[in-house]
Amino acid sequence: MSTILLTGSDAAAYGAKLARIEVIAYYPITPAFPAMERISKFIDDGELNTRFVRVECDHSALAAALGASLAGSRTFTVTNSQGLLYMTEVVYHTAGLRQPVVMAVANRALSAPHSRFPEQGDAISQGASGWIQLFCENNQEVLDNMLQAFKIAETVRLPVMVNYEGYIQSHTLEEVEIPNQEKIDQFLPLNRVRTLDVENPQGVNTVASPEFYMDYKFNQNQAMEQAKTVIKSVATDYGKEFGRDWSGLIEAYQMEDAEHVFVAMGSMISDARIVVDELRKQGQKVGLIKVRAWRPFPAEALREALKKVQLITVCDKNIVHGLGGALGTELKAALYGQAVRINSYILGLGGRNVSTEEIKKVLELSEKTAKQTTASEWFGL
Amino acid sequence: MAQSIADLPKEDLFGQGNAGCGGCGAAVAGRQAMKALGSRTIMTIPASCMATLGGSNLKTTWQIPFYHTLFEIAPAVSSGIRAALEVQGIEDVNVVSWAGDAGTADIGFQSLSGAAERNEHMIHVCYDNEMYMNTGGQTGSQTPMYAITSNMTKGKQGKKKNMLTIMEAHGIDYVASASIAYPLDLIAKFKKAAAKLGFSYIHILAPCHRGWQVPPEKTIEFARLAVESGLFELFEVDEGKRTRTLEPTFIPVEEYLLPQGRFKGLTQEAIQGIQASLNKHYGRGE
Amino acid sequence: MAKNLPVVPTAKAGSLMETPTGITWRLQYPVISETCNMCLDCTLFCPDGAIDRKNRKLVLNLSLCKGCGICANECKENAIQMIPEYSGVRGVFG
Repeated sequence: MSTILLTGSDAAAYGAKLARIEVIAYYPITPAFPAMERISKFIDDGELNTRFVRVECDHSALAAALGASLAGSRTFTVTNSQGLLYMTEVVYHTAGLRQPVVMAVANRALSAPHSRFPEQGDAISQGASGWIQLFCENNQEVLDNMLQAFKIAETVRLPVMVNYEGYIQSHTLEEVEIPNQEKIDQFLPLNRVRTLDVENPQGVNTVASPEFYMDYKFNQNQAMEQAKTVIKSVATDYGKEFGRDWSGLIEAYQMEDAEHVFVAMGSMISDARIVVDELRKQGQKVGLIKVRAWRPFPAEALREALKKVQLITVCDKNIVHGLGGALGTELKAALYGQAVRINSYILGLGGRNVSTEEIKKVLELSEKTAKQTTASEWFGL
Repeated sequence: MAQSIADLPKEDLFGQGNAGCGGCGAAVAGRQAMKALGSRTIMTIPASCMATLGGSNLKTTWQIPFYHTLFEIAPAVSSGIRAALEVQGIEDVNVVSWAGDAGTADIGFQSLSGAAERNEHMIHVCYDNEMYMNTGGQTGSQTPMYAITSNMTKGKQGKKKNMLTIMEAHGIDYVASASIAYPLDLIAKFKKAAAKLGFSYIHILAPCHRGWQVPPEKTIEFARLAVESGLFELFEVDEGKRTRTLEPTFIPVEEYLLPQGRFKGLTQEAIQGIQASLNKHYGRGE
Repeated sequence: MAKNLPVVPTAKAGSLMETPTGITWRLQYPVISETCNMCLDCTLFCPDGAIDRKNRKLVLNLSLCKGCGICANECKENAIQMIPEYSGVRGVFG
């Protein structure tokens, strides 16, 4: 193993390299493109035996990856925001076809207005698609989640999105330990399943009548439920081999006697850890819940972890228009019936800065807010 | 065209039990093409009549791997399939995307152009019934001028977009037009395409009797009349070299056009205009 | 409970032949006469693969035929006649 400075983009690229992806298709978009270029450099330098399909749009990128997956190859693509929305049709289609494609998403805000800055909105827009979604808190986790993602995907037969924020993570250098290739090969052996196979012909995706469609969807959703267990077990296995498990569905930090808990996903978590440590030193009983797997939504795990808590401050870097922050509204639904104060905040949209300062202020504001008047309040306007 | 029908394989890798209308031109095209392509073929078909008649739920008429793709992605999916086959060292497999006129020239045009520009090792087939039949028969870029459709009841004002010229301009290995009325010519062209290392494009005129408003038993007849009038030229462009593969007898265009219900709005003036521009195209004087 | 279905929505190759579509729609069926000269054109013009050649003769598989009439229309020898499935009393929509 070696430890070097990597951006989140590079970490995703190393993840794809270690997973020995066989086919990659991508279409450049900001800020995801450095990951794509890094993989192409691995290929050009002879370090990765991968066929690169230089498609003409994002939609075709996932289509080509899907085709390769159906023909039995391990595939990968990278995108964000507008590209992800453009390929949404293929996103749902890939999940319905139960293909274990892994996609790295360098989360960015959605147009309009046109923004190139980080935000969770693009990932949230795919919440109903049937893809497993993991959110990374730092570049090391990007690399580790990439590898765990392939394992999870190939076990439950569902595609996986690995989310990290544009610029904050995709373009920022952090120390990343790169696992040993041979050990990764043992963790992630070749698992070839050919759906399109001339030796074993079958028709794929024939027109489904009402008699069958709902049953397919039920079975697909069962796989999502099964993923809750698999995400945990893959994390444990990875942790045993490589020393970092990233806790599975959620991580509880300083939760032992916590009365006020901060809940969030993504890059905010690394700042939140610092804030929690600081407030603990001042004697406040503050804790942190990191939601690592947003889909499947870890409702049971959250209920268990938060059952004794009196005040929850949940932060979303996204807005589901007409409803509120995605994590906030879903958390409230999961904790329905529990006597607890939950304050949901929307912040950081379109790249507006969220640092330890903002998190401290949100926690203070939440302490003073007995009951919010809306599903989610906006912070930082 | 060395073969006779008796030399062709008897087995039907597509078509038996298919859910198409009686007299479906697309089904004829599929059956003829599979005589050339054989069982080591992977077929991707975007949303179209061809995808729908291919089967539903747990049943399909295809005896080879067949995948009903989203509307616009068939050539992109085929590119991915070819990449996977190559990296896995699987050889001698035809990868074919088979699309209607929408999936080729309109909604599918972007991914088709991309795959052609990359000169992917695959064949794209357009089975052209000149309208969007699977959604009821609307106008598309491949609908000829004056044709009446379900959403342009006064006839189309614009021209048919020339896909064969566009695909030739991509500089791909092989471009060919074919008609289901000339099966041996069609089959020979598929065999040539299958032998190419790069991208091949085959454009088949496959009439839809419902959309063209002709009796079902005349599906093949109209595919023949289109060629004999000269309106649909049978040719190929092989590594840049253009050859006409059948000399038309030049029956008057109105013998092809007027019996079709979709051209009932055609005036004599329009017919003369069509005949004149056709004559010019073939260099036959005014 | 949900049906036991394949993981990937797939169909078994060639399975549609077990329950061919459209044969119940058939209003007429072809009869091939002795004047057939085995040119085999109809075997390539049939949309449903219902005409096969076996032992130097044409064999019609009625379980695949939709009665479209292409074979009869195309036969250069006029060796194929389309016979109505039902030739009795017709109702209003006859």
